[in-house]
Amino acid sequence: MSLLTKFNIKLLTCLFCVFTTTLSFAQVSVIVNTANSATIADGDLPRIFLGKAKQFSNGDKVIIINLKFKQAIRNEFEKKVLNKSASQVKAYWSKLMFSGKGKPPKELASDKEIIAFVLANPGAIGYIAAESVDDSVKVIKTF
Amino acid sequence: MRNMHKTLIFLSVFMTSHTQAEVSLNGFASIVGGVTTYSDKNLNGYDDSIDFAQGSLFALQAVSELGEGLGVTAQIVSRGEDGWKPNFEWAYISYDATDNLRFLMGRQRAPFYMYSDFLDVSYAYTWITPPQGVYDLLIDTFDGVGALYSTNIGEFDASVQFLYGRNDDELTVFGEDIDVDFNDMIGGSVTISRDWLTLRAGYIQAKLNIPHSQINQLAEGWQQLGFTDLAQDIYVIDDIGTFVELGFKIDHNNLIVVGEFTQLTLDDMPLADEESYYLMAGWRFDDVLVHFTYGSDENTKDDLTSMVNFFPNPGTDAFQQGVNAFKAGTQGLINQQKEKQGYIIIGARWDFHDSAALKFEYTDFSDDLNGLNDTGLFRTALVTVF
Repeated sequence: MSLLTKFNIKLLTCLFCVFTTTLSFAQVSVIVNTANSATIADGDLPRIFLGKAKQFSNGDKVIIINLKFKQAIRNEFEKKVLNKSASQVKAYWSKLMFSGKGKPPKELASDKEIIAFVLANPGAIGYIAAESVDDSVKVIKTF
Repeated sequence: MRNMHKTLIFLSVFMTSHTQAEVSLNGFASIVGGVTTYSDKNLNGYDDSIDFAQGSLFALQAVSELGEGLGVTAQIVSRGEDGWKPNFEWAYISYDATDNLRFLMGRQRAPFYMYSDFLDVSYAYTWITPPQGVYDLLIDTFDGVGALYSTNIGEFDASVQFLYGRNDDELTVFGEDIDVDFNDMIGGSVTISRDWLTLRAGYIQAKLNIPHSQINQLAEGWQQLGFTDLAQDIYVIDDIGTFVELGFKIDHNNLIVVGEFTQLTLDDMPLADEESYYLMAGWRFDDVLVHFTYGSDENTKDDLTSMVNFFPNPGTDAFQQGVNAFKAGTQGLINQQKEKQGYIIIGARWDFHDSAALKFEYTDFSDDLNGLNDTGLFRTALVTVF
């Protein structure tokens, strides 16, 4: 019994290590279309991703694209860039959605789909894992 | 349950009739259990037996984007306290004139308070429901036109909301179900926010018509006794009521502080004026938010009959007897509305799941005019959005 418990604790500790390392080493890159000429400061990002700033500095319309819920990169982005927990972000969009003031951004399932969407939409802005970045998109900043 | 079926049938009709337009369906729910902690005491609809219907609600929202900036939204809310009868809280057509200007036409929420817009979406805020001492107007919604304008002033985000409309719902006023008519409802709100700070102000006025049988009997009585002006002050016919709200919110890292002050003025009516406020402070410990609220609520009214004297010895004089009876009746109506009360809410919200939270709250209520009404209320809620 005690052996089993010990083993369980070890397993848990290992899992915990793996989990925390993936979290703290996962870097998030904010990406836009290569044709996007707007200047985007770090301080603009929360306002853009919370739907408050609807246009880029060059006047182009912003299309936010989000990663589907429950992905580590999304949690990382929300924590680092928006300074909010996943449930705070969910609460924020719920407010807008149920009061006729706005709707949550479109969600895509993977980095690949986000890159494809950004390629197809000049006004799109999204975020992906830093290692998924390729030449087809422009990186605004990596956190 | 049959009502819920009707709602689902309605929604499916709504969904199939727009085969080309995409309909998105979302919803939210609160399951609230509550019990007063003093025996034989009632508070906010709860008594000393645990109740799961009062405060519980289930809502579905269907939105269809029709293109060219037009959209249709219906939000149906079923409440346990209404026997789960579904009710359209929102039903409007929206039109986005620009990215920053949206018009809403139809049934919508009036922006009385900071949390008015999403009053029923408990998942979106800290408490189980916003403090009842402040959030206690007779109506929350109106039918009419709303305009939402948002803009940026430097680093500040500003949003302005205007409304014009009417509410002629059937409401329960002093225990009587009556068709009220609040017309020429006009007003708006301004919200300014920057980073962790939000400031808000709102003003709404309306012409009130409340054909309550007892109020009308009192007015008719004064009329017959020859007190025409007083009778006019008793009738609630086209009398203008005004509402002012000021609020702020600080949401900085783990700290959250919210405060609201409201003032309701009901001149030329036998209905009490009200001044209320609350101040809430909370701290986030990871997934758990612990919060503390103090609130105060005061209803006052000048004695409308002060210029009419009691007759100490009316004897058999019908006029004098009438004046005494109607003066006592009018003062009784006003006195029953006078309130001075304070409350403390201590609570916690635990975000145990991606789309759901568990909340606990204890409210300690004290009535400064009648200590016998002091009581405590314990509530717990499971809230979700989907």
